[in-house]
Amino acid sequence: MAKRSIIQIKDLKKVYDLGAFKVQALKGLNFDIEEGSYTAIMGPSGSGKSTLLNILGCLDRPSSGAYILGDDDVAHMDDKELSGVRGSRIGFIFQSYNLIQQLNVVENIHVPLFYQGKDISDHYDHCVKLAEKVGLADRLDHRPMQLSGGQQQRVAVARSLVNEPLMLLADEPTGNLDSTTEQEILDILDELHGEGRTLVIVTHDDAVAERAERVIHLKDGLVDQDIRKGAAKAVAN
Amino acid sequence: MRGSSLIQIVQVGFKSLRLHKLRSGLTMLGMIIGVWAVIVLVAIGEGASHDAQEAIKALGAQNVIIRSVKPMSDKVQLQGSDMEWETIYGLKNSDASRISKTVPGVIKVLPVLTQRKNITHGKRDVDCQLIGTYPYYPQFTQSKMVAGTFLNEIEEARKENSCVLTLELAEKLFAGHNPLMEKVVIRGFESAQVFRVKGIIQERVEGAKLPQQKDALGRTISANVFIPLSTFKALFGIKNIDRSVGSLSVERVELSEIRVEFGSADEVMEALPLLREALDKTRRGKVDYEIQVPINELNALKAQKARDTRMLMYIACISLLVGGIGIMNIMLATVTERTQEIGVRRAMGATQKDITVQFLIETLILCLLGGSIGVCGGWGFAWVRHHLLHTTTIVTEWSVLAAFGLSVTVGLVFGLYPARRAALLDPIEALRHA
Repeated sequence: MAKRSIIQIKDLKKVYDLGAFKVQALKGLNFDIEEGSYTAIMGPSGSGKSTLLNILGCLDRPSSGAYILGDDDVAHMDDKELSGVRGSRIGFIFQSYNLIQQLNVVENIHVPLFYQGKDISDHYDHCVKLAEKVGLADRLDHRPMQLSGGQQQRVAVARSLVNEPLMLLADEPTGNLDSTTEQEILDILDELHGEGRTLVIVTHDDAVAERAERVIHLKDGLVDQDIRKGAAKAVAN
Repeated sequence: MRGSSLIQIVQVGFKSLRLHKLRSGLTMLGMIIGVWAVIVLVAIGEGASHDAQEAIKALGAQNVIIRSVKPMSDKVQLQGSDMEWETIYGLKNSDASRISKTVPGVIKVLPVLTQRKNITHGKRDVDCQLIGTYPYYPQFTQSKMVAGTFLNEIEEARKENSCVLTLELAEKLFAGHNPLMEKVVIRGFESAQVFRVKGIIQERVEGAKLPQQKDALGRTISANVFIPLSTFKALFGIKNIDRSVGSLSVERVELSEIRVEFGSADEVMEALPLLREALDKTRRGKVDYEIQVPINELNALKAQKARDTRMLMYIACISLLVGGIGIMNIMLATVTERTQEIGVRRAMGATQKDITVQFLIETLILCLLGGSIGVCGGWGFAWVRHHLLHTTTIVTEWSVLAAFGLSVTVGLVFGLYPARRAALLDPIEALRHA
């Protein structure tokens, strides 16, 4: 039997009200994501990919439907509750790294814990361990400006792990990197998957999607294809 | 807010501000100047007021000083010449005794007779003010003896030729050597008399703080010579002759001043109408005296100071308001510039409140830092002015507190809007912001 689902999406819809007319970005999505799985979400622009990413990341709320993350339906939480969910259950990795310029490597890794009310002095070793894990043991007090793109993205990966999230949510994580560095980052993600972490990557890059064990293709706000490799099972929606 | 995180928010705030040192510095400058100005202006005002109050207090809050004043047109032409005038006016001995008898609350009455004279010792001669008065003059005026003793009752009764000099005059006349028991010659228009110096006095106001104080005619009044009133009348009379360009004016003034001491400052106010009544009784409407009431002047001065202080506070508020607007302007720019950071922090779990607090604290740091520098600068300036430039400058605690409190208030008020704006940004939009 499959592992426990940590994400359940049921009839998820998102409508943008632009005043003169309404845009239906998501028209009713249904899928589950199991614990420890590695899923890529693909689709052309306008397919609802970004909208889904924002909802999965609890940065936005669906217009209707359910989004169960862990045990809670987060679809109808208010801003404060969503902030808490983002800080404790989701590890973000962005295309443009999005580190905070004033802070050094360790401090950047600590940021999600900070908003959980956890002091850096109590978790310093933990943050350092994560920096070592992504190969930045000798860059602990460097500022983002002093790091290469690949190094910055490694910091971002370490940061996404610091709060032991239910899911790592990556948005085009290699979009700004050259192919060598891209491979390095993808290797790290593979490694994390190997450790049993749940990964969701939003990308339009086939090379990135190739690493995933499951690819969900979106088209016009609906799931177009849901391909599980290994099992070689394709479900047309 | 989680208390333990506060230190870290402050640290992050400092880091953010250090990222733009020049900008942060310039922003703080508004605050620095505002706070500096409040403290310095209040300190200068306080110092000036303190000096003036001291001067008035030296006259005694429980005292009233009545002075002879020449009436406008009361001249009697002397026979034989149209260039000679004689005027009779002013306070009389009878006024002094009537006051001490009829006005309630009066403890002592001190008559003073003053004329311009010239004093010589050896080859030195100095213009001076000859003052005939009673032995209790020093207690009355809070003057203190520097050497020797003041005039006594026996000298008064015997009309002796004893005199007491002010310290400044003694220094001028004797230039270093001991003046006690030395002889001096006091020269008037009609007579010259030899006196024996028996004491050196330092008058409270003139001697200590205001060595250059001048009287109405621009003469330094610290050159005073005190002799018994009885001696004064016997030797020099009450006729004061003054030769101006081309004319001779003769004045007859029995007493130049009557100082009246009451039991307390409150009794002064009650007794004033009776005092006037006692003086006006024999004058038939002629006004040849003025009454100086130090307690009134003190109160007026205090009221004036309160007004000045209020005015200063308005100006200070305006300057801090301007500083505050500058800070708000910069913080708004900062929020725009750091939109992406705000998005990232929101994605990492920051609530709107977290973002508000972060930016509010950054504004507060600017204000407090600027305020502290302003306080130190103001204090330093006041210190230099007081100790090196010898101008009384008093930094008051309330001005420091007010300046500091205002800068914090300005920080809170003008920081809140940019901070709220940062907090209310849509995290998705903010993250997308390049």
